[in-house]
Amino acid sequence: MNKKNITTLLLLITINLNLVAQNSSLFIGGIAHLGNGEKISNSVISVVDGKFDIVADLSKIRIDPEAFDTIYKIYGKHIYPSFIVPNTTLGITEIGQVKATHDFDETGKINPNIRSIIAYNPQSKIVETVITNGVLLAQVTPNGGLISGQSSVMYLNGWNWEDAVCREDDGIHLQWPSSYYNTGWWAEQGDTKKNKTYKKTIKEIHRLFEKALAYSNESNVMDLKMESMKGLYKGTKTLYVHANYASDITDAIDVCNLYKIKKIVLVGAEDALKVSDKIKENNISIILNRIHRLPKNEDENIYAPFSQAKKLSELGILYCLSYEGDMEAMGARNLPFTAGTTVAYGLDYELAVQSISLNAAKILGVDNKIGSIEINKEATFFISDGDALDIRSNNVTHIFIKGNSISTDNHQKRLFNKYRKNK
Amino acid sequence: MRIYITIIFLLITILTNAQKTFPIDGVEETFKPVYALTNATIFTSHNTVIKNGVLLIYDNIIIDVDSNLEIPQGAVIYDLKGDYIYPGFIDLFSDYGIAKSEIKKNTSPENKDAYHWNYAIHPEFTAAKEFESNSENAKNYLNIGFTSVLTHHQDGIFRGTGSLVNLTNKLGNENIILNQVATFYSFNKGSSNQRYPTSRMGSIALIRQTLLDAEWYNNNNRKTNVAFDAFNKNKSLPKIFDVKTVLNYSRLYNISDEFEIDFIAKGSGEEFLSINEIKETKFPLIVPINFPKTYDVTNPDDAQEISLSNLKKWETAPYNLKILNDNNINFCITASDLSEKKDFIKNIRLAVKKGLPQEIALKSLTTNPAKLIGVENIIGSLEKNKLANFIVCSSNIFEDGIIYESWSSGERHIVNEKIKKDIRGYYTLNSDEYKDYLVQITGSKSKPKVKINQIDSSGFITKIDQNKIIISNTNKFRSSSKIYENSIIGKYQDENGDYHNFVMNFDSNFVNKKEKFSQNIDTITPSIWSPNKSYGLIEKPIEEKIVFRNATIWTNSTLGIIENSDVAIYKGKILAVGKSLRIKDVFKSDTTGIKIIDAKEKHIASGIIDEHSHIAISAGVNESSQAVTAEVSIADVINPFDHNIYRQLAGGVTSSQLLHGSANPIGGQSALIKLRWGATAEEMKIKDSDGFIKFALGENVKQSNWRGTRFPQTRMGVEQVFYDAFYRAKNYKKEWNKFNNLSSRKKRVTTPPREDLELNILSEILDNKRFITCHSYVESEINMLMHVADSMGFQVNTFTHILEGYKVADKLYEHGAGGSTFSDWWAYKFEVNDAIPYNATLLNNAKVVTAINSDDAEMGRRLNQEAAKAVKYGGSSEEDAWKMVTLNPAKLLHLDDRMGSIEVGKDADIVVWSDNPLSIYAKAEKTFIDGRCYFDIDSKNEIELRDKRERNRIVSKLSKSKDKNKIKVKRKEKEKHYHCDTLDHE
Repeated sequence: MNKKNITTLLLLITINLNLVAQNSSLFIGGIAHLGNGEKISNSVISVVDGKFDIVADLSKIRIDPEAFDTIYKIYGKHIYPSFIVPNTTLGITEIGQVKATHDFDETGKINPNIRSIIAYNPQSKIVETVITNGVLLAQVTPNGGLISGQSSVMYLNGWNWEDAVCREDDGIHLQWPSSYYNTGWWAEQGDTKKNKTYKKTIKEIHRLFEKALAYSNESNVMDLKMESMKGLYKGTKTLYVHANYASDITDAIDVCNLYKIKKIVLVGAEDALKVSDKIKENNISIILNRIHRLPKNEDENIYAPFSQAKKLSELGILYCLSYEGDMEAMGARNLPFTAGTTVAYGLDYELAVQSISLNAAKILGVDNKIGSIEINKEATFFISDGDALDIRSNNVTHIFIKGNSISTDNHQKRLFNKYRKNK
Repeated sequence: MRIYITIIFLLITILTNAQKTFPIDGVEETFKPVYALTNATIFTSHNTVIKNGVLLIYDNIIIDVDSNLEIPQGAVIYDLKGDYIYPGFIDLFSDYGIAKSEIKKNTSPENKDAYHWNYAIHPEFTAAKEFESNSENAKNYLNIGFTSVLTHHQDGIFRGTGSLVNLTNKLGNENIILNQVATFYSFNKGSSNQRYPTSRMGSIALIRQTLLDAEWYNNNNRKTNVAFDAFNKNKSLPKIFDVKTVLNYSRLYNISDEFEIDFIAKGSGEEFLSINEIKETKFPLIVPINFPKTYDVTNPDDAQEISLSNLKKWETAPYNLKILNDNNINFCITASDLSEKKDFIKNIRLAVKKGLPQEIALKSLTTNPAKLIGVENIIGSLEKNKLANFIVCSSNIFEDGIIYESWSSGERHIVNEKIKKDIRGYYTLNSDEYKDYLVQITGSKSKPKVKINQIDSSGFITKIDQNKIIISNTNKFRSSSKIYENSIIGKYQDENGDYHNFVMNFDSNFVNKKEKFSQNIDTITPSIWSPNKSYGLIEKPIEEKIVFRNATIWTNSTLGIIENSDVAIYKGKILAVGKSLRIKDVFKSDTTGIKIIDAKEKHIASGIIDEHSHIAISAGVNESSQAVTAEVSIADVINPFDHNIYRQLAGGVTSSQLLHGSANPIGGQSALIKLRWGATAEEMKIKDSDGFIKFALGENVKQSNWRGTRFPQTRMGVEQVFYDAFYRAKNYKKEWNKFNNLSSRKKRVTTPPREDLELNILSEILDNKRFITCHSYVESEINMLMHVADSMGFQVNTFTHILEGYKVADKLYEHGAGGSTFSDWWAYKFEVNDAIPYNATLLNNAKVVTAINSDDAEMGRRLNQEAAKAVKYGGSSEEDAWKMVTLNPAKLLHLDDRMGSIEVGKDADIVVWSDNPLSIYAKAEKTFIDGRCYFDIDSKNEIELRDKRERNRIVSKLSKSKDKNKIKVKRKEKEKHYHCDTLDHE
């Protein structure tokens, strides 16, 4: 064989390896945060056909590297399961002040039938800046009205929404009325008053649920709204109740129980600790309001938003973190750091990781396939040079969704690379 | 404090029979008897009392008052045995008889008449011109003891003059005692529908400019302006300013100081919140007694929503007058601001109960107001030849006295009928139906309770009116009867509708436990914190002498980050930095009271400086009305009560630039403050600092994201606004230079240019005495402003936000501008599409002085984390990143000679961090400003416990309160957070 032929052969082999690289890869030496509260400091992890095949302590098992198509030596680097941002408009909005880019707030009060999934744009410039901080999935959620519509759990990658779906129409979002509201003209501090329409709105919710319950038992016509709510009674859809005040949370749980709604999740729940018994009793989980927020009023403990997670964790209440609020979509990339803050205020590190991975997956009903680095789960995870919950060390070098390596480039990096060079 | 020129007037014209210019329809009643009020206890003034005195009145005048007076023949005598007479109360703050009409309803932006251009300025308004007597409203005052009021039109900033009026049924012209008595002012533009001013700082600037203009107009009168004419004419009258909130006192004081004008301040009733500051103003006050209503705390959830500051206000407000008096502040009391005027007497008694001396209470309702407006020769005390304005009460009005009569200008108004006879006792009832039934009459003299158990054990309804009494139950016995010496005789209707005569014969007196009025004065004033809310301070932190040992010190100096090192602070400054400092070497002989803090494993760094903040600002961050508002200043509206100050101290922030918003190309001036929690607005300001001003570009100033029509609406227009403003400023400077260069002889005969506050500030920019922080996003506009600056001969000090700064970093460096940016915000507007988190690093790499700012109350308390984003995005070194929130903002604010690093001689503004301050896991544990500890994580828990105890204490007091008019609505104040974009909609 002459030299030229050898080169050709090697080339062929390389190409072949590249083609099969997706089938099996091995990650050696990483600090693995499994997302289930466990950590393996010197790990070995394999991915075969898009799923985790081996998750182990490198010192405890013997691996034949030859058996893998690709080997990643990541000594000292960190591996995390995908972080998941729930309750977000990410992908259905692009620019805050440009209405044409807003696809999250449908007109009308009762919209259980509208679906965020079909407006989701995985090509969003914002989405690609979120994935690069380790947040690989989002519960894309509409807001507004009394019933805002249905969310879907989406991968933050794909050519179109159909490719990007993780769980379609996972639940319906109910914006529970607030017992108290703020008044006063805009530039001067106003008073908080009791919401006088609260009772009226609660009655409206009763009427809606009793009607939907009746429809789910028997119906002879097609009613889009009622049809979309059927899943709430069968347990195939979650009712996400957005409520913050203690008395509202209690009312919401009672109403949902009355109408036999199978699965409810509280969203926001700033006062959760005040009604923790009720929440535990009913085995309800919580999507917490953004950790990086101000205390709800001048009297609240200045650390309250930071320390709530630790207290919920001690009470054994299942919760995950969200980034609801101002700049919700673009700020979703800061979700890992909000988990870092909960560590600063007392929470165990691995539990903080869990609160944005496995906990979120459980709450959104996708923990059967993602949320943690466990054998047979989807290999949707990332590698960071340093601690991903700390801003100064979060540096995501590799992203995998279902075992596929995903680009870590984005719009902002491209501008950076262009302008860092001299003219 | 200048002494008001007492208005000398001809007593004769006022106090003799009013001249009748109005025709009389019918026959004139010319006869007026002399009235003699005898046997009363007469308070002729707050500190002189005549027992068993006589008060003689003819027409509207007191003809004499004394203990032994001969009563003229034919006088009408009222025997007031046991009663008290006081001088009638005077209210200096009233709108009695003035219709609430709007001054102007012109929609055009320009005023085309000979008045002031701004509709909120109408000094020409004269209350007397609009005044109409209104007997219904007069009654509201007479019923609570007021017999004359100073009334004015409560609208606008310069409100015109007020008139002193009586409260009789007579015509308006007969009620006006004096036409123009005082001039009135406020910070509120009122019904003016012009855009300017939209903010409190705008009102302040407008007041200052108007005062300058009035002076200029006075000296160089060329054209006629009705407003300035009136203002100048009435200049010597007392000036009453409605300050509305306690924070406005110091704002008014600054105006008073600048223009050497004395004011009388009409307060808010919450003076106790800033008592020392108010005392220093030396303003006489007019104070309302509108105590907060009792909160309903029966629902614990609702109670939890009442802020501690409101709970404390509720508890302390009744002590306000006592506190004013304890501080020797001269004040009057007004019935203004009460939602129900009838609460007045109740509240004044409550104030007395809380320690306001009765004598002072009376003084502040009579002599004080009379003196303040220079009418003590007519009213305010009961003396010969003064107006017959007084009240008659059953006993001491500050204890349990009932007002029987109020006399205004000799006209008698009955408030409560005097019940002469006490009918209480045991009676025997006889009628054709009932024989010898026992009747028991108890209750009070004016509200007797009747019980006839044999008829109806549940009691009877009674109504007593002079000598007539109604005694009824539901159906068996409904009577009307008359009271005689020893019996009550009348008839009743039974359940069949038949009438029966009856007689009740008096048997014996009711042996009642005489309710003696007891005055329990509360001697303990509730503790007042600074500010008076959660986390407020009881005492100002002391200046400490400390050595921190074994810390990792982020020096920001050439030493870099040094480990295992010490810092010493002393007299508010950094005394030494280094390894193993020796106390004697460092503190020399002054070694007593040194605290040594082991800071092993801790990090010590200089305090965070937020270059762009909008916390601690009251009543508007934007004067959004005009494209150029350089005349307004945030320094005028600092709000030291904002709890975000404490929250940010807990985030390691020690200084902030409070910026005007970004609604207009040239906004207002900034305030540089240290976060001295618990201090006053003035104390928070950083002394001897350079002046800064906010400029803005892009979508906000061109009003892209809300409806607006004013120029400019494009970036093209924005450029022209700048050129226009600076050419105007140049001309202005030229004019002044020309004038200033004249010989003093020529100066005297030459009209000086008009002083313009806006152009003063723009001139300062041209003179390199004021420095710009410009809100900016895209490269085109940044480039544009640098071109404007270069061609007009000034420099842009800082571009703030500057999210596309990385595209023009070389130009910024060349121009000498710094950049203060967001760490990672983007995508919130179209113009921030190319904002990248690498910006800070790229700017820093291009040698541009780069800071990271918050522009947000929440982010402001995590700026250490935001700095870490410069490490993450672009790979700045940790030291460089840290400087972006400390030394670099200090440089941008020209404060780096005293802040921003840990170097000997600099201010001891330092923070002890639990960890590397850039780490997400780091907490600020101690925050020092000027060597005083304003935040300490160790005492935080104690403070929270204290707050909780305070809340529980007041709530339990509330739950025991018997006040029936509890308010159910909670009054927790909404958190208000400003960003640049915050527009005010007043």
